[in-house]
Amino acid sequence: MLLGFDLLDRQIIDCDGQPVGKVDDVELGYDADGAPRISALLTGQRALGRRIGGRLGRWIAGPALRLAGPRDDGPLRIDIAHVGAIGSAIDLIVSRDELPEPALETWLRDHLIGRIPGAGHES
Amino acid sequence: MKRIFSVALGILTAIGGFVDIGDIVANAEAGARFGIAHAWVLLVGVVGICVYAEMSGRVTAVSGRPVFDLVRERLGPRVALANLTGSFLVTVLTLGAELGGVGLAVQLATSVDYLLWVPVVAVVLWVALWRAKFSVLENVFGLTGLTLIVFVVAFFHLGADPGQLWQQAAHPGPPQGEDWGTYWFFAIALFASALTPYEVFFFSSGAVEERWTARDLATSRVNVFVGFPLGGLLAFALMLTSATVFHPLSMSVDSLSQVAMPAALALGKLGLAAALLGFFAATFGAAMETGLSAGYTVAQYFGWSWGKLRRPREAARFHTVVLVSIVVGAAILLTTIDPIQLTEYTLIFSAVALPLTYLPILVVANDRGYLGNRVNGRTANALGVAYLIVILVAAVAAMPLMMTTRMGAG
Repeated sequence: MLLGFDLLDRQIIDCDGQPVGKVDDVELGYDADGAPRISALLTGQRALGRRIGGRLGRWIAGPALRLAGPRDDGPLRIDIAHVGAIGSAIDLIVSRDELPEPALETWLRDHLIGRIPGAGHES
Repeated sequence: MKRIFSVALGILTAIGGFVDIGDIVANAEAGARFGIAHAWVLLVGVVGICVYAEMSGRVTAVSGRPVFDLVRERLGPRVALANLTGSFLVTVLTLGAELGGVGLAVQLATSVDYLLWVPVVAVVLWVALWRAKFSVLENVFGLTGLTLIVFVVAFFHLGADPGQLWQQAAHPGPPQGEDWGTYWFFAIALFASALTPYEVFFFSSGAVEERWTARDLATSRVNVFVGFPLGGLLAFALMLTSATVFHPLSMSVDSLSQVAMPAALALGKLGLAAALLGFFAATFGAAMETGLSAGYTVAQYFGWSWGKLRRPREAARFHTVVLVSIVVGAAILLTTIDPIQLTEYTLIFSAVALPLTYLPILVVANDRGYLGNRVNGRTANALGVAYLIVILVAAVAAMPLMMTTRMGAG
């Protein structure tokens, strides 16, 4: 598998088919023999900003960083053990409810979208 | 029976949905100034959108991934971000132009200035995208847009000289008083109006929302190969009537009321009413598509949850982008910029943004990892590559032509 071609930038889908995010970056670790292997997928604007780098990268990561506030625990990390199939999308074997929700989604829902009448209705 | 009905509905919607403010303005302007010397461009454009819409429909149906997912996967985060910025700006500008088109159509019917209608239209549009069942709206506006057939009827009533029209179509090039620079400028605008990027964003995202699978490929192909060419025919009728009425008088078209005039001349008040209704439906339908497409592109680049079928609170970031786009689109118009001029600019800018959208579609349509044995055949690849070259040439030439011809002023 080519990391850059088959994994990075693909859509991550949870076990119910709901979008979780993109594979914005990966975390590498070493197995028992000292060979590098992927230990986790990183997703969210902070992981993306870091990968793009420079002023543009900081600008992309900025809002997520500010919203995370003091309880900052880095970009959203999905352990490789939670990954099922890797195809045109990355399928997880867990539900996205078990993962932390992206801060921007929470903030916009609580402060803007959730306050508009009809936000809870399917159309 | 139900299946036949849904296919027929899809075709009719595609016909009405093909025509938007860009097609209306570009075809009428080109017809008035150059006769139908651009007829071949329209043909080239329609075949192009068919080739790429079929590819993106196939990729989406088989792999479940919409077009902007592919853009990010194949171009990487940086180039895709450049594409996102370009496509998003063009889509929001187009949204502004469509809102202006709706406003102008309502102004022609009510004599109340379009600037007063723009905020109203923007609010109605947002409410529609927030609450209404989208498939119903899409069908209503697609079907109502079919009233543009009045221009086909009008053309036959106007009693044009077929020999002269054939002469124009068979000898592409500028007539006396026009030069090659403006001829090519209008050619690029017409080409871009047929291939606007939001059409594939919207088409593929809609396919994801309706959970298309490989079994829906036939439906997708029928919609594309029947609906778009018939939509192109409506656009051609606009060019024909404008060429018949305005070109012999050496008049240029620079307002929506002039575009409607041939229908009024040929068929009286009823013809005018049908033309206005058609303009209204076509531009409002396109405003819905561009508003959603603005949200689709951003959400698909970042991997957010998106879509009309989700509760808004479950796609808060997506709905925020849609809301902001509508506000910005309306704000652009409220600067009192001329909507027709805004349309001309959006066409040229979208010509520049086209290659970065269509290249990834072509690449992925050849990737067995996504499509298995449904990858492109030889014909699709030959056409795809040929069109990519045309798209590249148009993208490179668009800006220089815009500057040297001063927006086609000659």
